Amino acid sequence: MVECATMEEDEIIRRAKEGDLDSFNQLAETYQRAVYNLCLRMLGNAPAAEDATQDAFISAFRGINRLRGGNFKAWLFRIAANACRDQLRSLRRRPVTSMDDAPFEFKSDQPSPEDYAMRQELGEEIKKAFVTLPPDQRLAVILRDIEGLDYEEIAQVTGSSLGTVKSRINRGRKRLRHHLEKHRELFV
Amino acid sequence: MRILRKNQCHKVQGLLSPYIDEQIGSSERDRVESHLEECQVCRRELELLRATVNLLHRVAAVSPPRSFALAEVDAKRRPAALKREAPQWRRVPALGALRVATAVTALLLVFVLAGDATHLFEAGPVENRAALQGTPVADEVQGTSVTDEIVGVGGASFDSEGFTDNEGYIWPVLEIELALTGVMLILGGVTVGLWHRKRRGLEKG
Repeated sequence: MVECATMEEDEIIRRAKEGDLDSFNQLAETYQRAVYNLCLRMLGNAPAAEDATQDAFISAFRGINRLRGGNFKAWLFRIAANACRDQLRSLRRRPVTSMDDAPFEFKSDQPSPEDYAMRQELGEEIKKAFVTLPPDQRLAVILRDIEGLDYEEIAQVTGSSLGTVKSRINRGRKRLRHHLEKHRELFV
Repeated sequence: MRILRKNQCHKVQGLLSPYIDEQIGSSERDRVESHLEECQVCRRELELLRATVNLLHRVAAVSPPRSFALAEVDAKRRPAALKREAPQWRRVPALGALRVATAVTALLLVFVLAGDATHLFEAGPVENRAALQGTPVADEVQGTSVTDEIVGVGGASFDSEGFTDNEGYIWPVLEIELALTGVMLILGGVTVGLWHRKRRGLEKG
């Protein structure tokens, strides 16, 4: 089934490479949620994430002929990560005053008011903790722990070696853990 | 002994993250596990790290606020279309030429100022100039005295008896300096204005 889906995707990619916008838009519809979430976690700002996502898809369409086989999602994430870097530079020039529009929400099967309040608080803490991470570590942790990519895919997205990926994930998680330790009661 | 143990803890804690992800070899895994059996600090570190990772796994995906499918208007931004239609900033008229003109004016101004400061444009003593021309100082040349000629050329005011200090300018240096400064300011202002317009154009894409 997975192989069938991959074959179908390969065909769509082939048509997109020939300039078929509808085929490319099929890919965009499939991956826009993942790309938008990656951008949102990286930037912590919804409008900037929207811009980065749009830029990523435009760049992907323009550069799809440079894709030579391989993992389309990893390739797309790489473009999105570059779009996020551009947005981060832009945000540094014109810093936003609020990050309230980029919530971290949690999956939960206990929708009680107490649970909701705790999840909100935890979301705030994670958001603050992510901001303290250098962008390279933030990207590696998001790709691994939120997007669920394996180490090889992360190496493809970031253009780094496996050793660098391991080190970034390790340091990023450690920093997050230190930040969240103050709020142990929320998540342990 | 304590230093050795601390060193071991440091090494093991560096492996905890790939250990959680099962990204270490079997020998390293055995080393980590045997250390964890006897080290409470590292066990606690592992527990907190696992809790952090589990927490991140529970972060819910957010629905995008809109579709990011490309419209036809976006499709025009494909490379072939971009080659046909030059970017906004390239259509700003003669920005490159203005930059060069500003730079040349600035260089000229620096040259004139430097020359002025080092007395490059000052005429030598009148006797020497006259000797060079092979004409006595008081001689009339086509109805004009050398003194008048120099005054006329230099634009400096000297008394009718001749130069008070036997020196003057061979060019109207002050006027040239002022003119170059004015031209440079105007060109520079226009260039900076157009450059800002170009940047705004690029940011808007």
